[in-house]
Amino acid sequence: MNGIVDTIKNVLKETDLVLGWTTDPVTGVATPARFHDEKEAEQAVFDSTCAHNLAVHLPRLKDSRVGIVAKGCDARSVIELIIEHEVQREQLAVIGVGCGSLLDVKKIWRRYGYGVAIKDRDDSLLIGGEQVNRDEFIQRKCHGCLEADPDIYDVIAGEVTGEIPTDTVRPHPLHDMFVSLTPAERRSFWREQFSRCIRCYACREVCPMCFCRDVCIMQTQIPRWAGGAVDAKQSEMIQLIRVNHLAGRCTGCGECERACPVGIPLMLLLDEQNHAIEEMFAYGAGASLKARPPLLVFDVNKDIWGKG
Amino acid sequence: MRIGVFVCQCGTNIAATVSTERVASAAMALRDVVHAESIQYTCSDPGQRTVIAAAHKYALDRVVIAACSPRMHETTFQRTMAQAGINPFMMEMVNIREHCSWIHSDMEVATEKAIDLVSMGVAKVRGQTPLFSSHVPVVSEVLIIGGGVAGIQAALDIADAGMPVTLVERGPTIGGNMARLDKTFPTLDCSSCILTPRMVEVKHHENIRLMVNSEVEQVRGYIGNFEVDIRKKATCVDEEKCTGCQICEQKCPSEAPDEFNAGVGETKAISIAFPQAVPLVASLRKEYCRLYIKGKCGICKKVCPADAVDYEQEDELHTEKFGAIVVATGYELFDWRQAYPHYGGGLYPDVITSIQYERMLSASGPTGGHIQRPSDGAEPKEIVFLSCVGSRDESIGRPLCCKVGCMYIAKQAILTREHIPDSRTYVFYMDVRAGGKGYDEFYRRAQKEAGAVYLRGRVGKIYPRGGKLVVMGADTLVGENVEVEADLVVLATGIDAAAGAGSLAQRLNIPYDQYGFLSESHPKLRPVETTTGGIFLAGACQGPKDIPETVAQASAAAAKVIVLLSHDELETSPMIAEVNHMRCIGCFKCREVCPYHAIEEQGLRDGRRVAVVIESLCQGCGLCTVACPPSVISLRGYTDNQLIEEVTAVLR
Repeated sequence: MNGIVDTIKNVLKETDLVLGWTTDPVTGVATPARFHDEKEAEQAVFDSTCAHNLAVHLPRLKDSRVGIVAKGCDARSVIELIIEHEVQREQLAVIGVGCGSLLDVKKIWRRYGYGVAIKDRDDSLLIGGEQVNRDEFIQRKCHGCLEADPDIYDVIAGEVTGEIPTDTVRPHPLHDMFVSLTPAERRSFWREQFSRCIRCYACREVCPMCFCRDVCIMQTQIPRWAGGAVDAKQSEMIQLIRVNHLAGRCTGCGECERACPVGIPLMLLLDEQNHAIEEMFAYGAGASLKARPPLLVFDVNKDIWGKG
Repeated sequence: MRIGVFVCQCGTNIAATVSTERVASAAMALRDVVHAESIQYTCSDPGQRTVIAAAHKYALDRVVIAACSPRMHETTFQRTMAQAGINPFMMEMVNIREHCSWIHSDMEVATEKAIDLVSMGVAKVRGQTPLFSSHVPVVSEVLIIGGGVAGIQAALDIADAGMPVTLVERGPTIGGNMARLDKTFPTLDCSSCILTPRMVEVKHHENIRLMVNSEVEQVRGYIGNFEVDIRKKATCVDEEKCTGCQICEQKCPSEAPDEFNAGVGETKAISIAFPQAVPLVASLRKEYCRLYIKGKCGICKKVCPADAVDYEQEDELHTEKFGAIVVATGYELFDWRQAYPHYGGGLYPDVITSIQYERMLSASGPTGGHIQRPSDGAEPKEIVFLSCVGSRDESIGRPLCCKVGCMYIAKQAILTREHIPDSRTYVFYMDVRAGGKGYDEFYRRAQKEAGAVYLRGRVGKIYPRGGKLVVMGADTLVGENVEVEADLVVLATGIDAAAGAGSLAQRLNIPYDQYGFLSESHPKLRPVETTTGGIFLAGACQGPKDIPETVAQASAAAAKVIVLLSHDELETSPMIAEVNHMRCIGCFKCREVCPYHAIEEQGLRDGRRVAVVIESLCQGCGLCTVACPPSVISLRGYTDNQLIEEVTAVLR
C-alpha cells in the first residue's frame, strides 16, 4: 500500500502528467495541481479539503496519457466521460482514493476567517485550535454521497473505505422545503435565486460533462438561444438549458453548486432530474462503464407494442 | 428580399371560416412582403398561373402559400416555383386548412390564427436559402420478404419486368397460408391447382433467386440503396443435392408436430412440408431430432441416396444490396385458447380451428380429405361453426374484423355437405359480411344448397356431454337461448400479423399497429407505400385481406417498385443535416443516435476531429440536431434560426 506521493511517482512512469492536489502555501488547504515529474510529485497531497472534481480537465487532455487522482464521486464523472468517448480508457490511469467526507472550506473561512488553520484528524476537527462539530462543516455534496470509493481505478493510493455510506444518502437540504411549494411559489423561488446570478459561468467551467467550452450555446449569438441581459429571466433560461443538456449525463458530483459564488442551489434542479431519469430509464450516469446512456441510444429492437 | 404571400380559399374549405382577404391584407404589412393576394383554388391550373404571373410582376424571390397541408401539395407548389424561376425550396407552405379552418368555427378567431400562421411562415421563409437536390445511383435488385401468394405475385411481376428479385422465405417452402387451403371462395376452385404452378414458376424464373429458411436480420441504407443482412438457417440438408425423394422422412424415427397441417397429424423431424413444396427439399428440425436430443441416430444420413444430409451445416449470413423492398409477411391465425376459456381453451379435442378443418377437407391433407373427429376418428354429423372468435370482440380487446371468416365458413359449410351428405351444419354469426364480387350469392348458396342453419348470436359456452359437445348460444333474432349438440365445433379464428412482424418493422424502420399489422403511408392514396421510401407492402401483413385483394395489392406494389427502379438515379431531398465544422466539438453523439449511419469522422487540417454528414445517407430525420450539445448541426430548410424566427413571430 503506497501513499499518494509514491503512487503518483509510479504512475508518472507510464503517463505524461498526473492530475492531483497540492497544498496552497497561503491558506494551507488543498488546491488542484498537475504533476509532470517525480520532483513535482513530492508536493502531492490528499486530504479532506480536496473537494475539486479533477475529471473536468480530462476532455482537454485528449492527446496526453493522463493520470488522475479520483474520489468515488470523481470516478463517476470519469466513467461517464469514457462512455461519451471524451476520454480513452487506455490513455488514462486512475489513482483511486477513499474519501470519508470533504470539508466546506469556504464555510469555515466565512465563520472563522480566511486562511484559518484547519486540522482534520480521526473524526475530530480542529479549526484554529478549537474543536468543532465536523458534521456542520462537510460539503453539501457529501450529504448525498453515492460512492465513497471509486468504481474505476488502476491503482489505489492509501486506504479505501470499503463502504458506500448509504446512511448519509439524503436529498438536497432544500428538497423538503422545495417540494412543499406550489408551482407558483417554486417559480418565484427560482426567480429569486436566479436574480442573484452574475453569469460568471463557474457552474459550467467546473462541470466535467460541460465539455463544449468555447462553443457553449449559452454564449452563441447565431442562433441566439439566450439573451445577453444579466437578469433572472435569462439566467433561468440558461440554467434550464444547462439542466436539459445534462439529462442522463449528470453524475451528481455537485461541483456546480460548490463553485457558484452566489450560492444558487443548482443541485436541487439536477437532483430532481437525476431521480426522474433513474425512475424512467433505470440509468444513473457514471454508475457503470457498460451502461448505455438512454438518450444516446437509437434502439430499433425496442418493441413498443410487445408484438415481437 | 421580396416575398409574395398567396392565401388560398380552397373553395369554401378555407374561405368559409377564414377571411382570406383579411389574411392577405395583414400579410402585406409584414416585413419584406411586396405582394399578397387571395386565390380561389391555388393548386388549380389558373391558380398556379396567377402565382407565376405575380412572381414575375413583383420580382419575387420568396413565396409563402397559405393553403392546405404540405403533405397534400408541397410538391405541386415546388413545381410551380420552378416554373416561375424561383428555387423550389424558397417556398414555404402554411397550413391554414387542416390546422385552422377545418378545426375552428368562429371566423374572427380563425382569421386571427391564420394571420399568425402566415406571419410565422413569412418569418421562416426570410431565413431560407436556395437548396439543391443531388442524385444517387439506384441498385436494380429487389428484395421480397415473405413467400406467400403476395410475395409470389410481386416476385413474378417484378421479375417479368426484367428486374432481378430475391425472394426470402422464413419457412422451408414458399406458398404461405394459401398452400394450406383446400378450395377458395366464391368459385370453389382448388387452391393448390391455382397456386402450385405459380410456385413452380418462381422456382424456375431466371430473374428470381429463392432463399428459403432465411430471415432478414438487419437493414441499412435508404431508398435505392438498401444493404440487408439475410441469415440462411442451417437445415442439415444440402439444397443442391436433395432430390426430394422423402426416404429420410419415411425412415426417420423422431416424430414432430406438423405445423403445415396445423397440428392435425404428425410429421417427422426431417421432412418435406407437403408434396407440392417449392423447393422440394427436406429440412431437419433439430429440436425434435433424436441425434440432437439423445446424441445417437444418424439414420437419415445413412439412407439418403443423394448424400444430401449434412449435420455440420452452419447458418450462412449473406449481405446483399437492394434498390427496393416489398414486405409480404402475411398473417397468422389468432391463438384463441387463452382468450376463450369458456370454449374449452383448447382442452376439448373436438373444438378445432378453421385451418385445422381446412387441412381435413384437403385431399392431400393428413386425413386424405376425410372429415374426422380428432377424439375418436369418427365422421361427425352435427358440425357447428363459430364466427368471430378473436374478431370484433371488444371484451378481449380485439375489435378488428378478420374480413374472411364469414366467407370461409360459408365455403366450409358447402364443402361439408359435399363430403358428408347427411351432415347438418350450424353457423353462429354476428353479421354476415359478404361484400365482394359474387360473395353474397355464395353465402346464400351455403344456406340454400348446403342447408347450413345460420343463428345470429355469440356462443356463451361449450362443454362436453356424453361424447358430444354442447354449444350454448343465443339466437338474438328470435330472442331465445339455443343449445346444439355437436360432434365437431369449428372456430373461425381471427387474423393477426405474422409472428415477428413488429420486430421486422422495427428493423425496416416502418410503423405498425397494435396487432403487428404494418402501416401504409396513406390509407387511400398511398396504400402500398410505407413512410420509408423504397419499402412497399403487399398482402395481409398490412391488414386482413382475402386472396384477390392480396394479389391485387402485390401487383400494385410490384408496379410501384418497377416505376422506382426504372430510373438509374434518384433525386435526394436536400433537406438534410449539416454540421458547422468550425464549431463541432467532436463528441460524436450525432453518430450514436443516427439511425442511417450517415455521420462519419473527419480530420481537419488543424488536427481537430469533427463530424460530417454523408449526404447520400442522411434522411433528414433530425435526431442528430437535438443530440448535438452545442447545437451546431442544423437541418437545411429548418435551421434553428428559422424556427426561432417563427416562434418569435407568433409571440410578437
